[in-house]
Amino acid sequence: MKIKYNAEIISGIVFAVVGAALWLLIPSQIQTMEKSAVNAQTLPRIAIGGMFLFAVGLLLEGLFSKEKKELVVTGASFRSEGFKKELRSIVYCLFLVVYCLIVEPLGFVVSTILLVLAVMLYYGARKWYYYVIPLAMVGVVYYVFRVMLHVSLP
Amino acid sequence: MEQFLGGLQILAQWQNFLIIPLGLAIGIVVGAIPGLTSDLGIILCIPLTYGMDPTMAILMLLAIYCGGTYGGSITAILINTPGTSANAATLFDGYPMTVKGQAFKALQMALFASTIGGLLSAFALLFLAPQIAKITLLFGPAEYFALAVFGLSVIAGVSNNSIFKGLIGACIGLFMATVGVDNISGATRFIFGQRKLMAGIDLIIALIGMFAISEILMKSKYNPKTDHKTISASAITKDKITKDEYCRCWKPIGLGSLIGVIIGATPGTGGGLAAFIAYNQTKQASKHPETFGHGEIEGVAASESANNGACGATMIPMLTLGVPGDGATAILMGAFMLHGMVPGPTLFAEQGNILYAIMLGLIVVNVFMYVIGSGFTRFYAHITRIPYEILAPIVMTFCIAGAYSTNNRVYDIYIILIFGIVAYFLRRMDFQLVPILLGIVLGPLAEKNFRRAMVISEGSFKIFFTRPISCAFILIAVGSVLLFAWKNYKARTVRAK
Repeated sequence: MKIKYNAEIISGIVFAVVGAALWLLIPSQIQTMEKSAVNAQTLPRIAIGGMFLFAVGLLLEGLFSKEKKELVVTGASFRSEGFKKELRSIVYCLFLVVYCLIVEPLGFVVSTILLVLAVMLYYGARKWYYYVIPLAMVGVVYYVFRVMLHVSLP
Repeated sequence: MEQFLGGLQILAQWQNFLIIPLGLAIGIVVGAIPGLTSDLGIILCIPLTYGMDPTMAILMLLAIYCGGTYGGSITAILINTPGTSANAATLFDGYPMTVKGQAFKALQMALFASTIGGLLSAFALLFLAPQIAKITLLFGPAEYFALAVFGLSVIAGVSNNSIFKGLIGACIGLFMATVGVDNISGATRFIFGQRKLMAGIDLIIALIGMFAISEILMKSKYNPKTDHKTISASAITKDKITKDEYCRCWKPIGLGSLIGVIIGATPGTGGGLAAFIAYNQTKQASKHPETFGHGEIEGVAASESANNGACGATMIPMLTLGVPGDGATAILMGAFMLHGMVPGPTLFAEQGNILYAIMLGLIVVNVFMYVIGSGFTRFYAHITRIPYEILAPIVMTFCIAGAYSTNNRVYDIYIILIFGIVAYFLRRMDFQLVPILLGIVLGPLAEKNFRRAMVISEGSFKIFFTRPISCAFILIAVGSVLLFAWKNYKARTVRAK
């Protein structure tokens, strides 16, 4: 499969769809009793309507632009270096998602230590003292926030 | 004159010269941690001031306020995450300077510009407070709306590559700003049944997510073996500001400080807006606007002088009219009352000596800020030598703790993650994040005052053009957008040739 694209086309389509969807959601998401022409829906309508119109403009700019990349999707694409790099970003995002899920049951210190270890392993840090500094920092942050500043942590 | 000399006598007590550096150190640390603001620093330290005399107490809190505003620039320059919202404009050129290996220079300029801005602001507070307060009294809803529009015109200046992307970014920001309960009608907007969203999206949470988390994700492809650059300790501090750069930066610093004082003295605005406008105006006035956004030292000078220029000026409406200029001054107003001083028109007559001691003390605060900051800058600059595999988890730890502590809920950690992922994809699509930030910052100011103005004018748009200040702001905004469009067009034509 051969696809010709550029960032303008992709983002234009994404924001045109998001803009249209949000526009349709306005009546259900903003229920106001105001009778005046300028009410709680006005700014959201300007922002969302603007998003849609500018996205269409961006899409047209992308379509008429001469600079387009060509993407040929084959089995080899999924084994390419570029695809593997993208997968690494997704793995990184997953660390953060998992962290969000465990932070409440495990608490700040334990969950952050796990996150720090995961990130260090992800980057392939080999020296032991590289691990000590960020791990010690978790303790420092906990002490500064909880003890010194009296700010609560999970 | 008698009150002035009396104030000088009160200020000369040795305890004041000990408490100011302490307040500054607290402020700089709090300001430099993303998620913690000078507001929080002031709140946490108010109980410590109960036993102090009023001058000493207020000077300590003022030092935290000024130190916090400066401190936020450190992380903006070093890790692309502003410590406070007032430092967001410093990102434009501060971080690119770090990427170019000029972190020390950027930090030096941030400190220098912050000090000059802070000093001019302190002098304005001391000598011009009543006159400036009279001007700000002329601001009604139409003027505030026009000021917000003027601020939004910055988008044209920061969307060099694609104006459509800049405008979409602003729309995203404006949309984000509407999430939560509408302050005027009480209607909920885009909360999707989530009660936790009723209070809206906290600006600092959005900042951490958009800048810090997206930066971490952008560097997820970092390979320690190939991407780490070893920089010697001496090389870091070798690149200092040259005489020529100091000379070039005087104009941006002067302009930034002036804008900071004017915007800061206008209640409900703050240093963040001042910094954006100062940056935009400096870029417009520059003979080489194309260097802005790529590590231009004048950009750092303009934004930092403006946000610290606003610090003292926010006290003007508070001290003369009893109207706090921003969140920090609202807290400071509470501290004044705790110490038996009621800000307002009668304060000068009733406690003039103490008031002059505080206003003169603000000058001392800024001088001390330069001395303390100079010592720390050398140390901060070495942060850029830390391997990224160590720095990334440390930054993440601070961001998580900062996000949680904003509202004491895990929900905000989810929010920074969502913002981070969305911002990451936007950056991959060559979107600038600053227009989004501008939308979030200026959206509420624009909406509230637009609706109020429309009620006053009974639905007529004439109100924005018949009032001179409002009309002037709108004309300047339109003019600056057209000027940018023209300059961009000319640059494109030259490139095409």
